[in-house]
Amino acid sequence: MSRAESTTASVYHRSVVWLLFLILLLPLLGTLVYSIASSWSATVLPSGFTLKWYSQLWGDPRFLTAFGHSLLVCVAALVLSVVLILPLLFVVHYHFPRLDALMNILILLPFAVPPVVSSVGLLQLYGSGPLRMVGTPWILIGCYFTVALPFMYRAITNNLQAINLRDLMDAAQLLGASTWQAAFLVVLPNLRKGLMVALLLSFSFLFGEFVFANILVGTQYETLQVFLNNMRNSSGHFTSALVISYFLFVLVLTWVATFLNKDKSQ
Amino acid sequence: MSFVSVERLQKTYSGTPVFSDIHFTITQGEFVTLLGPSGCGKSTLLRCIAGLTPVDGGKILLDGQDIVPLSPQKRDIGMVFQSYALFPNMTVEQNVAFGLRMQKVNANDSHKRTTEALQLVELNDFAKRYPHQLSGGQCQRVALARSLVTRPRLLLLDEPLSALDARIRKHLREQIRAIQRELNLTTIFVTHDQEEALTMSDRIFLMNQGRIVQSGDAQTLYAAPADAFAAGFIGNYNLLDAETASRLLQRPVSSRVAIRPETLSLSLQGEPDTVIRNHSLLGNVIRYRVEVRGVELIVDVLNRSPGDLYPDGQRVALSIDNSTLCEVA
Repeated sequence: MSRAESTTASVYHRSVVWLLFLILLLPLLGTLVYSIASSWSATVLPSGFTLKWYSQLWGDPRFLTAFGHSLLVCVAALVLSVVLILPLLFVVHYHFPRLDALMNILILLPFAVPPVVSSVGLLQLYGSGPLRMVGTPWILIGCYFTVALPFMYRAITNNLQAINLRDLMDAAQLLGASTWQAAFLVVLPNLRKGLMVALLLSFSFLFGEFVFANILVGTQYETLQVFLNNMRNSSGHFTSALVISYFLFVLVLTWVATFLNKDKSQ
Repeated sequence: MSFVSVERLQKTYSGTPVFSDIHFTITQGEFVTLLGPSGCGKSTLLRCIAGLTPVDGGKILLDGQDIVPLSPQKRDIGMVFQSYALFPNMTVEQNVAFGLRMQKVNANDSHKRTTEALQLVELNDFAKRYPHQLSGGQCQRVALARSLVTRPRLLLLDEPLSALDARIRKHLREQIRAIQRELNLTTIFVTHDQEEALTMSDRIFLMNQGRIVQSGDAQTLYAAPADAFAAGFIGNYNLLDAETASRLLQRPVSSRVAIRPETLSLSLQGEPDTVIRNHSLLGNVIRYRVEVRGVELIVDVLNRSPGDLYPDGQRVALSIDNSTLCEVA
């Protein structure tokens, strides 16, 4: 390829990337500008800038409560999934590799049934009777657990397959480690990457989840997205500030996690 | 006095026997190889000795003690895997020290013994590296140091060289043997590579379909194969059935005959009853495919000078040294 051609190609590649970037970023940028505009209706540019929407938002106890609720439910669901899925994965891959096929079908179920449909079922099951949980955070934690399951299972499975679990366990045991010691000292540290990816993915997904939260719990335990929905009739500047705050929170969290997850050995 | 003694060992996987009635003994300091094609049960046998796979019956005596009821942690056996099985989250040093850490050896002793073990495999300079920063050969040397540092009574090597390239394999082969001799460590080595088996072992157990079909030193296995399988697996024997052999040798033969290709010789003197069909150059050896009295044979000749090469289609005389023929079952 000649130099001129390669320059043209490179310009083309760059412009595609930048265009894509712009398309993805533009709505967010608009929202950001809107959230710091004092008013922006009949003019091309906002009439002035202010941070009052942010101070109003972060001073609103209802927002802070909703934020806390979202955080609590997501973290609880993820803790539950780590506690349950890690040992499960371990047992499946070390003792019963054949179960992996079954698990792959099972973890697709939360995807196969749309949230609106499964939430109707959940309402039926947990709306009354001995397992009455609708309207409490508990049902949301349980429900989010099933949503997180596929992310967790897949990411950690890929990680497990990459480390040759069986030989590592065998080697550790022959060197005198008990099964627990082998799992904690040898296997678990090597699953950190897969685990972090799974957790981040699930967290950002669950933090923005709306359908289950709205139908199963609604205002009885208002989460961030439900709060956003309930605020839809208030000022657009206010909700824009909310969206940007939410986005920044997830962004910072992801960045910190990636930073902490950087392999010291590389 | 045998140091390891395996008696009537049996293993079945969902109804099909992997092996049954395995018997052998090993003396202290001996280097023994389990040789066989894949699926012959040699790796399973090794895992049974390590305690990683439970057995269905029989005894494994190590220094007089039956280790079958013991967990792998209590058997005092070191093992090196084909996949290295180094712990990726630990440095070379931490990998080697892992066994000592499990035995709660104090920090000073642990450091000293780890350094010694790394010295043995010539990897001191790599102590602070992580496994992914090492080559395959270096990884396997770390794995070897890790299995030696706890001073096991028995060392098991499960195809440790199979994942390495040819040059490193040869070097590591010699290094493993030298270390084994230096420590006088009883060792069981598993491989499907006859060259590895022949060059490294004091004794070879040739396995096929869950049975030990022949055991002995390299020379015995090579020169006197016990059956057709042994003849086919080791070396490049010409294996002839009784009828073909009778035709070739022009005398009645009642069993199958194995003829090593290097015991045959070709020359221009004598009755030219043999035709060169084709030849291939293996380096120091020229391998001819010849036909005589309707029998196809492989003949290996030392490649002394280019002028000696017989062209394809040439008629030559074949001489067979009767003393090197093996009649096999």
